[in-house]
Amino acid sequence: MNISEYDALVLGAGVAGQEAALNLANMDYKVILVEKDKSIGGAMVQLSKVFPTLDCAACITTPKMSETVRHPNITVMTYSEVLEIERSGKNFNTSVLKHPRYVIEDACTGCQECESACPEIKDDEYNYGLAGRKVAYVPFTLANPRIASIERKDECAPCIATCPGGVKAYGYVSLVRGGLYEEAMNLHLEDIPLPGSLGRACYAPCEGECTRNETDGSVNIRRIKRFFSDYYYNKYPEPLTNSIENLSADRQDKSGKKVAIIGSGPSGLTAAYHLAKEGHTVKIFEADNELGGMLKSTIPSFRLPKDIVDRDIKNITSLGVEYELNNRIDKLGDLKSKGYDAIYVSVGTHETLKFNCSGKTLEGVLCCLTFLKNVNHGDKPDLTGKTVMVCGGGNVAMDSARTALRLNAKKVVVAYRRERDQMPAADIEIKEAEEEGVEFQFLKNPVEFIGENDQLTAVKCINMKLGEPDESGRRRPIPIEGSEHIVKTDIIIVSIGLLPSSSPFKDDLDLNKNGTIDVNPETLQTSEPYIFAGGDVVTGASSIIEAAGQGKRAAFFIDKYLNKEDLSEFEFDHRLPPASKEQVLARIENQKSIMPVIAYERTAKERIKDCNEIESTYTEEEALLSASRCLNCGNCRECHQCIEACPADAIDFNQREKELTLKVKSVILAPGFKLFPPENIFEYGYNKYKNVIHSMEMDRLLAPTRPFHDILRPLDVKKPDNIAYVLCVGSRNCSENNCVCSQICCMYSIKQGQLLMGALPLADITIYYIDIRAFGKGFEEFYQQGKAMGVEFVKGTIANITEKENGNLILRHENIETGDIDEAEHDLVVLSVGILPNSEMTSLFKNETLEVDEYNYIKQVDEMINPAKTSIEGVFVAGSASWPMDIPDSILSAGAASAESASYINKIKS
Amino acid sequence: MKTKIGVYICQCGGNISDYVDVEKVREAVKNEPGVALAKHMMFTCADSSQKEMIDDIKENNLDALVVASCSPKLHLYTFRNVAERAGINQYNYIQVNLREQCSWAHTDKPKDATLKGIGLVRAGIAKVRLSEALEKITISSYNVVTIIGAGVSGMRAAIELADMGTDVYLIEKDHFVGGRPTQMEELFQSKQTGKEITERLFTEIKKREKIKLFTGAELESLTGNIGNFHAKVKIKPRYIIPGYDKKKLKEAIEKCTDEVTDEFNFGLIKRKTIYKNYDKALPDIPVIDKDSFNPDDEFLETYKDCIDLNQKEKILNLKSGAILLCTGFDLYEPNKGEYGYENFENVITLHQLKRIIELNDNEKLIYNSKEIKRIVFIYCVGSRQTKGENKYCSRFCCTAAIHSSIIIKKEYKDIRCCHIYRDMRTYGKQEILYNEARDQKDMFFKFNEEEPPIIEKEGDNIIVKIKDVLLEGQEIELIPDLVVLVTGMIPRKDTPALANIVKAPIGLDKFFNEVHPKLRPVETVIDGVFIAGSCQGPKNITESINSSLAASAKIHSIISSGEIKLEPIIATINKDTCEWCGKCIEVCDYDAITKTEYNGKSIATVNIALCKGGGMCLPVCPVDAIEITGYSNSEIESMIDAINKEIKIESTEEVTPVDESEHKMKEMPEIWNKILESLKQEQKSISQIAEDTNLSSPVITYHIMTMVKYGYINPTEMDEMDEFYFYELKK
Repeated sequence: MNISEYDALVLGAGVAGQEAALNLANMDYKVILVEKDKSIGGAMVQLSKVFPTLDCAACITTPKMSETVRHPNITVMTYSEVLEIERSGKNFNTSVLKHPRYVIEDACTGCQECESACPEIKDDEYNYGLAGRKVAYVPFTLANPRIASIERKDECAPCIATCPGGVKAYGYVSLVRGGLYEEAMNLHLEDIPLPGSLGRACYAPCEGECTRNETDGSVNIRRIKRFFSDYYYNKYPEPLTNSIENLSADRQDKSGKKVAIIGSGPSGLTAAYHLAKEGHTVKIFEADNELGGMLKSTIPSFRLPKDIVDRDIKNITSLGVEYELNNRIDKLGDLKSKGYDAIYVSVGTHETLKFNCSGKTLEGVLCCLTFLKNVNHGDKPDLTGKTVMVCGGGNVAMDSARTALRLNAKKVVVAYRRERDQMPAADIEIKEAEEEGVEFQFLKNPVEFIGENDQLTAVKCINMKLGEPDESGRRRPIPIEGSEHIVKTDIIIVSIGLLPSSSPFKDDLDLNKNGTIDVNPETLQTSEPYIFAGGDVVTGASSIIEAAGQGKRAAFFIDKYLNKEDLSEFEFDHRLPPASKEQVLARIENQKSIMPVIAYERTAKERIKDCNEIESTYTEEEALLSASRCLNCGNCRECHQCIEACPADAIDFNQREKELTLKVKSVILAPGFKLFPPENIFEYGYNKYKNVIHSMEMDRLLAPTRPFHDILRPLDVKKPDNIAYVLCVGSRNCSENNCVCSQICCMYSIKQGQLLMGALPLADITIYYIDIRAFGKGFEEFYQQGKAMGVEFVKGTIANITEKENGNLILRHENIETGDIDEAEHDLVVLSVGILPNSEMTSLFKNETLEVDEYNYIKQVDEMINPAKTSIEGVFVAGSASWPMDIPDSILSAGAASAESASYINKIKS
Repeated sequence: MKTKIGVYICQCGGNISDYVDVEKVREAVKNEPGVALAKHMMFTCADSSQKEMIDDIKENNLDALVVASCSPKLHLYTFRNVAERAGINQYNYIQVNLREQCSWAHTDKPKDATLKGIGLVRAGIAKVRLSEALEKITISSYNVVTIIGAGVSGMRAAIELADMGTDVYLIEKDHFVGGRPTQMEELFQSKQTGKEITERLFTEIKKREKIKLFTGAELESLTGNIGNFHAKVKIKPRYIIPGYDKKKLKEAIEKCTDEVTDEFNFGLIKRKTIYKNYDKALPDIPVIDKDSFNPDDEFLETYKDCIDLNQKEKILNLKSGAILLCTGFDLYEPNKGEYGYENFENVITLHQLKRIIELNDNEKLIYNSKEIKRIVFIYCVGSRQTKGENKYCSRFCCTAAIHSSIIIKKEYKDIRCCHIYRDMRTYGKQEILYNEARDQKDMFFKFNEEEPPIIEKEGDNIIVKIKDVLLEGQEIELIPDLVVLVTGMIPRKDTPALANIVKAPIGLDKFFNEVHPKLRPVETVIDGVFIAGSCQGPKNITESINSSLAASAKIHSIISSGEIKLEPIIATINKDTCEWCGKCIEVCDYDAITKTEYNGKSIATVNIALCKGGGMCLPVCPVDAIEITGYSNSEIESMIDAINKEIKIESTEEVTPVDESEHKMKEMPEIWNKILESLKQEQKSISQIAEDTNLSSPVITYHIMTMVKYGYINPTEMDEMDEFYFYELKK
């Protein structure tokens, strides 16, 4: 943790915070200015003009903002939060949390290219949500520092959160929705180079987490992936030189480091891909006669056609990754002596568990892996008329059973020692196997293989029951004594478990009891620092995406290892927590149901006739419709269009929040105010009637950087010509728990009235008031000027507001001067909302109490003589945190805070 | 001569570009002699734009800079700073005022505004071509401040400045410190009295060696300039011998029979001619009011150890780096007859009321030997006059009156108070006092300025007639025992005289005027002369203290280093041609010219610290011996030539809108696609698009505006009723 020392911490960089910081800095004190928003400037930079001089707010405040940010004695921390302040001797220790912008501040030029490219629209807070802004955005034109942010709201879509390979499902689904299939592909290739294989054979945990599961069924994410990868592969049978696969080709060999990858399954391939992209020389050693591992040898082609796998593999080999086939590596040390700087062992699980019973050498007793591999290599046994028993409940068992069916077996039975619910195979596989006619017999286990003439004829099975849960959490199957029975069987395919192929390395590396290689689970480093291991040989039999995810992880840390960095300092693939499904669903209330889009599938009868694929790829229409079902759970789509657009390479999705510790001598609190929430006064219909807006929204409408191109009412953008102001909304209102007068509302309403007279010369402006409080220098004159310009002032409180069909509003009130109950019609109503104290920082102080007054403003303990003094020595208050204030008063109060703070610093320094 | 000039034209977010065709301006100036680069920008003042300029300057080795934007009052320093950061001398930068002097002035004639804009920018370019690199003038400064006025503001500033390390001369005209608050007793928002606050501040001042307090001290004259002011201060004698015997003097005071009207108590009572403002007034030394003091010789002889009527006025010469005016305010004195003031003895001012309460030692409130049971307050007396002189609101009086009424009610339960007001301005937390006054059953009547209350006398009774706005203007009659006129603050009587001495400007309200209420609220246009407290305008105590502390911080940051940098744009005298006629000295507003000897003749010399480059001396010089640095004849002449140069632009009344947006979005939100689809054929209004897309108009509004922002859609014309815009796809 960094410790930095400053004379003063100023909390809040509105006009008061800036003034206080500048004053201190000009007196040569070192100041740290912490602002929770992404730009300094506070409320003032949102204003159109300021009363009573009618100066342009931006013109007055931007020079100050620039001066603040540029001042050599001021360090500005934006998008940061003070977490705690604790006295330590003469100083305060302060911890400050810096939120990630996902943009490297020093690199960003504020060019807004990312903003142009970003496809997601969210409410623009700067404009009070009257219009939208992008998720990648510069807070506003006048922002300072002008740095873009990716507003991820610190959450992501559940599909992204859950993917073991870190693939951005929401990102590519949204790109597909926009017809950007190649971009979708490129996004996928950022993480895993095997979209073709995954589009067909991934068990798609993302779909399981999809929020749409809670309503009418998950978005078919896997099929969408299959669609864009097929689209891409059809278009580009060979990798593009300008595609992302080759973007980093120029980095080939740049590092001068050599990495050997043992095994070319999904894990090895993915590791090779990422390492090659980092510029390392990579060579894959494969024991088999082709690359691809289980993708090629085990998964049947009706689930995963081999040409697709081959095309996926080209993504890796096109980066210049070399490979040697038929080369089983047993001695890792040999590779080291051949000059390899690091080794990644990803040999998978090519050993199988065997029944330890008599008859296991009989003809007709088959190992699942051998069986599937032979079939995949074209060595297809003819099972016509045969009865086949598959023993086991995993995916390989399902693949074996379904392959057996396709080889014309008369009957295929899956015998499993537990019940269906405990089967490790993917649900869809079990379902499809059932459809195709595979028979399931649960709670049954072979105990003996019976044969004649070395040929299997039957299997003796025993029935099981489920006992107490074992270590895996599943209930342990217990044989029921005396339930043995004979089942006539021609072929038994044993698929009761895959074992890691780690035995050759047992002398070189530490192994676990179950035979997996022992690694640091974070870095995948083995007991031998230059050797890393991952995939199934570490995790035990898993899935393509999990294995690939391990490859990506290994590559990340191998790269760090090769760069001689301390691996413990890095965190791989930090993910934001998933967005709350409840909130997403609440947002889409009343959305009409669209059922999941089912791609064409061959019927079970059809498909078992051959080994061709059973499901077809989405048509473009189907893909678009399916993608359009996405509920946009995450704030940011993670489509990475911004990364592509950024000319400065400034976007970094791996940024994390950072905590800093600062030592400061004094603290100035300048957090500003909060706006009274106008919806609290139900009778005025804010939120309910679109043409009822609040005064800050009107100030935005009047500003040169406004959300609309003219003064228009938000309902139907009619140009208003009869505008009403309702004063004292939420101030001088004890029933709303805000008895005090907000001090600024009369004046800003008069200001807006005058500005509107200029902007809409034909419009009538009426201000409904209790008392007009024009008390400051030049204020009364400004009020009289407003009257003279024709702004009408009516003394009377508005009782309620109702909406007419045309969007106009009826304001019911007693006109005090006439004594009548009037109902006035206006086409736009502005609620002049009051302000509330912002005293959130009271809880920041450890072991000391920051007192507030009875109205919750920060208490000025010696208001008459030391107006900035608070209940904590060395802590001062500036601006509207202690009392409602307009800009001149805030500036003077900030001046006082800086002076008192300077004297205090002097005192403790001496 | 500058040969690589960068020209930046600001759109000012439409403030300029809506009326001045900035692209045409750019076209017209880009080939001017010396121009190497010309651009326009949305906001030249934005940080990104500043960065861009610096990059441009460095990349292209530019040697001068022109920014055509707003008034130099706003951004001169911003862009000087840009120039400096990019390595160009600040004075090789010219700001052209394209907004206040062009676009805002000619909103009705965009074409002419464009033509004028071109001329102005060309003139700026011409001037910067001939500009010279200048360095700031550095002068030394005393780290000392002279504060005029030892009310709460002045005293508080003195303490703060001393604590920050600046020496202070604190000058008070009266013989006692504390100012107005000492007359006010309990103060609202606090349980303290003005006297207590004064005592606290005075005690603190006495602890600090850095503060030298002078009472009875009046500023006679002020010369010099920031960093080096010379104040001549006259000290009036107290006629009391230092180290006097307290007991004996007390005895003298008791024996003294001369009495005069007590101004401190607003003439309600008389006081002795050996006096203090009040019992515990500070400094704790009485004063003799010599003009009204007529002791016999015996008296003088008896108290000769205490009293010395031969004490003389003293003159002090004080040197300081800055002057802080904390001279406070006077109270409005109603005219005779104004609401019956001075006509009826039971019509008094709020301040008199406060003194009456203070001086009253009966269980009941007695005034003129009569018990007071009903009080009517009439507000805004002397304030908020649309016809009278005091247009302004006095800010503190509503709360002060309300607060008095609460105090009265606490002390004398039976008194009923009525308030006749215009707008109750108990702003901020003071609103609570207003609530409290209503809770104690005070009555409130609102009047319009046009129909003020009328005060009449019927027999022994005073009758107040009001047309109460709250009762539809019904006339109401009240019969109070006391009418209290709630009078506000006015500038001190001696303000004009003081303003004359320090040269600080006075505003329309006749209070001292700040440079800018938000940017420079405690500074005056005279460098080194600052203002704080209610001499700048009505303020309550906390507000005054805030401003005096703010001024302290500002002053300290300027003078504490002992060095001040000044603008080099000043007059220079050609010593050889000057024939001393004295004309220049007559017109100089800043007393910056003096007569000196040179080569055996008299010539004029310029005080570089005082000269503001005002230029008044220049045209009056009969021999053309004066030039203003940075505004030489050749520079001005070249500007005139540049403005007169013929301008060729296509004749059009339309301003071409600036379009910098570029469509980069590959994927559109679904709604955007629908909107774009709907607008493919023809322009439509929001309601038509809403109908087309089956979406609600607020949703369409939201997205249309977002799409306008990102440059996908343009608003076009309005419908016949001038109510709704049509929108079209951007070509």
